[in-house]
Amino acid sequence: MSAATAFDLLLAALLLWSAWRALATPRLDRAIVLFIAFGLLMALAWARLAAPDIALAEAAIGAGITGALLLDALGAWKRRAGKDKPGSPS
Amino acid sequence: MPPWLEYASGTLLVAGAFFYFAGTVGLLRFPDVYTRLHALAKADNLGLGCVLAGLALQAETLAAALKLLLVWPLALAASAGVGYAIARRADALGIAPWTRDKSK
Amino acid sequence: MTGLELPVALFLLANLAAALLRAARGPTAADRMLAALLFGSTGVGVLALLAHAGGGTPLIDVALTLALLAAITGVAFARRAWRAGQPPTKGDDDAPVA
Repeated sequence: MSAATAFDLLLAALLLWSAWRALATPRLDRAIVLFIAFGLLMALAWARLAAPDIALAEAAIGAGITGALLLDALGAWKRRAGKDKPGSPS
Repeated sequence: MPPWLEYASGTLLVAGAFFYFAGTVGLLRFPDVYTRLHALAKADNLGLGCVLAGLALQAETLAAALKLLLVWPLALAASAGVGYAIARRADALGIAPWTRDKSK
Repeated sequence: MTGLELPVALFLLANLAAALLRAARGPTAADRMLAALLFGSTGVGVLALLAHAGGGTPLIDVALTLALLAAITGVAFARRAWRAGQPPTKGDDDAPVA
């Protein structure tokens, strides 16, 4: 097995695993981090598929901006939950 | 490409891979946030620096080599800023740094 | 091109797999975020290697974008999302919170 085939197979396995974990994990912070990892692996996959423009869009939008926005939304949600019930913020 | 340049480039690539490996092992094995931040900075700075320098040695034109080497200071500044922000936040949240006594 | 790029990229991808394990089960939120940041920097290295292993120079631009936006994600985590609500203990791994 050449290095290219091994690279592609490992990349596909990591993509499937991170996508499944991001969907199945019960906690939001974990899901966001796994989503960021998934976006990065997707950018690598587009790069392997010789589509650098889509890889650029995926790295910028999928892994970067959406990840930061989701983290910000989680922080805002936690702040609000902490204000309503001071005893148990998530 | 002269053969010595090829050997130098390969050596730098392997050294970069080693530093990435060390950073990953540190992230998996170190005990708390601050020490893991230290391992992450090693992978960021030395690993990426060695890989990019090794690739820049193979570049056909000077402009391509300079563009590769431009990524490195950017990553340096980014990792320094992120490391500072996370360590400051961890300190503000009251996470005590790990010491050897606590592990016993 | 020395033929060494793709094996080194494969090795870095194996490192990514180990970091993904840390991201999935790391005890605190900060550990997961650090794994995501390691993902970013390793991804930059892999993209630069792929650019020299036949992907073409546009992949360097992708690597630049990734290096910038991984930092933005890290700062967004540290400044906006990391709250004291989750105690950084080893035991909160299984807490069933939304």
